[in-house]
Amino acid sequence: MKIMPLKMVAFAAVVLTGALLLYGVEDMPAWGDPQSPANTHVSPRYIENAIPDTATPNIVTAVLADYRGYDTLGETTVIFTAGIACLYILRRPRNQRRKERD
Amino acid sequence: MLEYVIAKYNYWVYVILMMIGLYAMMGKRNLVKKLIGMNIFQTSIILFYVSIGVKKGGATVPILEGHGHGGHQAVDVATILNPLPHVLMLTAIVVSIATTGVALAALILIYRRYGTLEEDEIIAARRAAAAPKAKDQAS
Repeated sequence: MKIMPLKMVAFAAVVLTGALLLYGVEDMPAWGDPQSPANTHVSPRYIENAIPDTATPNIVTAVLADYRGYDTLGETTVIFTAGIACLYILRRPRNQRRKERD
Repeated sequence: MLEYVIAKYNYWVYVILMMIGLYAMMGKRNLVKKLIGMNIFQTSIILFYVSIGVKKGGATVPILEGHGHGGHQAVDVATILNPLPHVLMLTAIVVSIATTGVALAALILIYRRYGTLEEDEIIAARRAAAAPKAKDQAS
């Protein structure tokens, strides 16, 4: 029962944040609106130029591997770092392994 | 009130999912449940972004058929979904998988050391381990 006040604080913070976000929803464009800001500024350029620029029918692939190639390179670095970190965290230290063997 | 909710119900769904994840991260005491809360949070953001790319009125997936080599006819932008949110969420999924993997590895280490994944039990164990040292310094 000692933990209860902390949970109440967490719940109050969650309700407050949710109310703030729902207040912001009022200014968002309607679902599937072709004239929404996200669909009108830069994305038409990618859709029109994907074939002339990259000759790739799949636009997602064209953007991922051609326009944002360095971003994808950084993404693989993230995966590599995570893998190395997992190896280092889960590895048992050498002296501990020796103790188990003896 | 109900009409107000239904007009933009998709955003309400994301906000509610996100708040479930946020509460799990703050209010739960089990560390695995906190991690699952973080995953719910990330999933709500992925849903939000993918929904931004939707275009109503007969738009299809962003794969251009019959536009291969040679055929350079113009593309009607209104018939193709917005591909940029999809690309960004591919990156976000990769990052979320990486953070989940590292966090699970860290949880295995915590379990090996303390024998529990409950936050309050770990704090109690750490306090019990630190208490004799503090007494030595006082005397």
